Amino acid sequence: MTTTVNDRGRNTMAKAESRQALGFVSPALIGLALFTVLPVALSIVMGFYDWPTYGEKKFVGFDNYAKLFTSSPDFWPALRNTAVFTILYVPVSVILSLTLALSLHERIRGRAALRILFFIPVVTPMVANVLVWKMILQPQGMLNGLSMEWFGFQLPNFLADPQWAMVMVVIMSVWQGLGYNMLIFSAALEQLPDSVMEAAKLDGASGLTLLWKVKVPLISPSIFFASVMTLISSLQVFVQPQLLTGGGPGNATQPLVQFIYNQGFKFQDLGLAAAAGWILFAIIIVLTAAQFVAQKKWVHYEH
Amino acid sequence: MKKAHIGFMAVAAVASLALSACGGASTGGGASENSVVIDMWSGSEDDTAALNAQLAIAKEEHPELDITMRTAPWGDYFTKMTTNMASGNMACISGMNSGQLSGYTAGFQALSEADLKTAGLDAADFAPGALEILQNKGEMYGVPFDMSTMLVYYNADQLKAAGAKTPEIGWTFEDFEQTAKAATTKGKMGLGIGMGDFQWQALPISRAGVQPVTEDGTLDLTNPDFVKASEWYGDLVTVQKVAAPVASASDAGWGENQFSSANAAMAVDGTWNAVGYLNNDPGFEAGMAPLPAGKNGSLGLVLGSGFGLAKDCKNKDAALKVLGSLLGQKSQDYIATSGRSYPARLSSQPLYFETIDAKYRNQVKSTFEAAFENVQGQRVSDNWSKVGTFIQPNLVSVYNGQDTMAKVLDSAQQQFAK
Repeated sequence: MTTTVNDRGRNTMAKAESRQALGFVSPALIGLALFTVLPVALSIVMGFYDWPTYGEKKFVGFDNYAKLFTSSPDFWPALRNTAVFTILYVPVSVILSLTLALSLHERIRGRAALRILFFIPVVTPMVANVLVWKMILQPQGMLNGLSMEWFGFQLPNFLADPQWAMVMVVIMSVWQGLGYNMLIFSAALEQLPDSVMEAAKLDGASGLTLLWKVKVPLISPSIFFASVMTLISSLQVFVQPQLLTGGGPGNATQPLVQFIYNQGFKFQDLGLAAAAGWILFAIIIVLTAAQFVAQKKWVHYEH
Repeated sequence: MKKAHIGFMAVAAVASLALSACGGASTGGGASENSVVIDMWSGSEDDTAALNAQLAIAKEEHPELDITMRTAPWGDYFTKMTTNMASGNMACISGMNSGQLSGYTAGFQALSEADLKTAGLDAADFAPGALEILQNKGEMYGVPFDMSTMLVYYNADQLKAAGAKTPEIGWTFEDFEQTAKAATTKGKMGLGIGMGDFQWQALPISRAGVQPVTEDGTLDLTNPDFVKASEWYGDLVTVQKVAAPVASASDAGWGENQFSSANAAMAVDGTWNAVGYLNNDPGFEAGMAPLPAGKNGSLGLVLGSGFGLAKDCKNKDAALKVLGSLLGQKSQDYIATSGRSYPARLSSQPLYFETIDAKYRNQVKSTFEAAFENVQGQRVSDNWSKVGTFIQPNLVSVYNGQDTMAKVLDSAQQQFAK
């Protein structure tokens, strides 16, 4: 008898407690539902509608998706631009910032100051960054000015040439994002276990062997984290091309997110924009999942 | 249990907060018979003060009406109008701009002669072309309070140093080319090439004597005369080399910036920037002239803003009376004497020039008067803003010689002519 009474008491207690818990989490839940779940669900629905910002909405099934792949003049170029940007940006950014972190890890004078210096572009507003780069790159800017003065050689109009424009967007993005990854790698390097390092050194490991066989495997979780985040952010690139090149010349540097923005907010075709948004989401999920599968081969966790 | 109650109360409190945040006051249409709501954009306290001065005039002229004004910043104004239109909440009197009208005609009442009469307005009182400003496909959706058009601005110091002829009223495209060529010297260019719709299209339209949209609102970018004139415009950069190629598609104000930073001797821009250019930062002597004349004379577009009547307004007669006051002599005189913009009412226009620095007054006056003699209302197709969005980044390719103007215009026509 006593046990059942206790059980019943516990049950009512648990119920009351879970109700209280619900009360406490409900502000967060309401926020999540209102600002995350609802818009996400709405965007799925939108993707199947011809949905202008004002006027009649019409169900069109998969027409928006078909339109993107078959008749939209800018969608394939946007996919290509995003791919080109990602392929160029991710490896360069990760390798460069790792190299920087490794070289600043050695006990050199003023390394704290150097780290801050490399981190400044990350915290500076992008608009200011872009303004400076524009001043450097435009035909009346610094680079061409110096080239004309020293060599009498006219440099290309970097931001208006289809190939150069993309290269410059990548270079500027690498410069801007370098400090962030560097900080992650630096933190990982600071925490290398002394015992392992000492053992490695006693075993005669040094230089490249020490770096390649010991340090890099030890910080591989950080490299994995940095490359996943960098990949996602590069697939979502928007501000740099929007401000630096305006997606141009033509559509030569217009990435997928800018395409989505233009469709939704300049062409008022929210359905098409939502459909393209879900395609981008699918790409990001697949690539991230692939990275998680691949990491089993090269990322070492200490157990 | 008490604790559970607290939990529920928390939920209720949050929910009620969320609800009260959503439920803002919404009064459109005009509830009672003699109440009229005016919606207008306002960018600053100055703007609001000026609007209130006009509101006071309307109230004074119609003491029997209960007139209120709501304002929103320019950017939000049109978003708000979209939602107001969708929910049937449009204010009886709403501000409208010629460049935006094509997207909002559904919400506005087309005005007839009789409507103007009720408002106490006479078409003959307005400057020629002014009533075309808020027209779309032959219907008039509003009456303008100001008007503007495109001019050629020049750097008099730079032209003098280069020994180039100064642009003047009645000049032709030959004169324009001569001046541009002569001014392209010592690292300076003759012209700042345009990127914005109005800025780049002004010269081709004047040269060809046609607009890229037909009278019934059909896109006509491939009109042979317009294509030819546009190619000539692109050639100013690539062939005649009197203008520097644009550095990036994100430089929407390239030509105007080249001019105001004294890198280019001329630029095309609206009358709305006249005072700004006369008082430029580098401190050069600026001047202005109407667009040069082509074979068929000179043709400019007349642009501007005004007030229209909402389609679902319940007390139209009262609203029309307010419209009449807002665009009446007193209100227009106020706009002119405050120097805020060039009024649409003929008799108020001379007052505007009195606000200009005496040194420039005659030049501004004669240029404005000459420029507004050869204007046409701007025609726009249904998706005109998309056309601009598409063309702008492609202009960069044209100016840098990677694409041709004819191809870009053709491609835009294919995409947006539906």
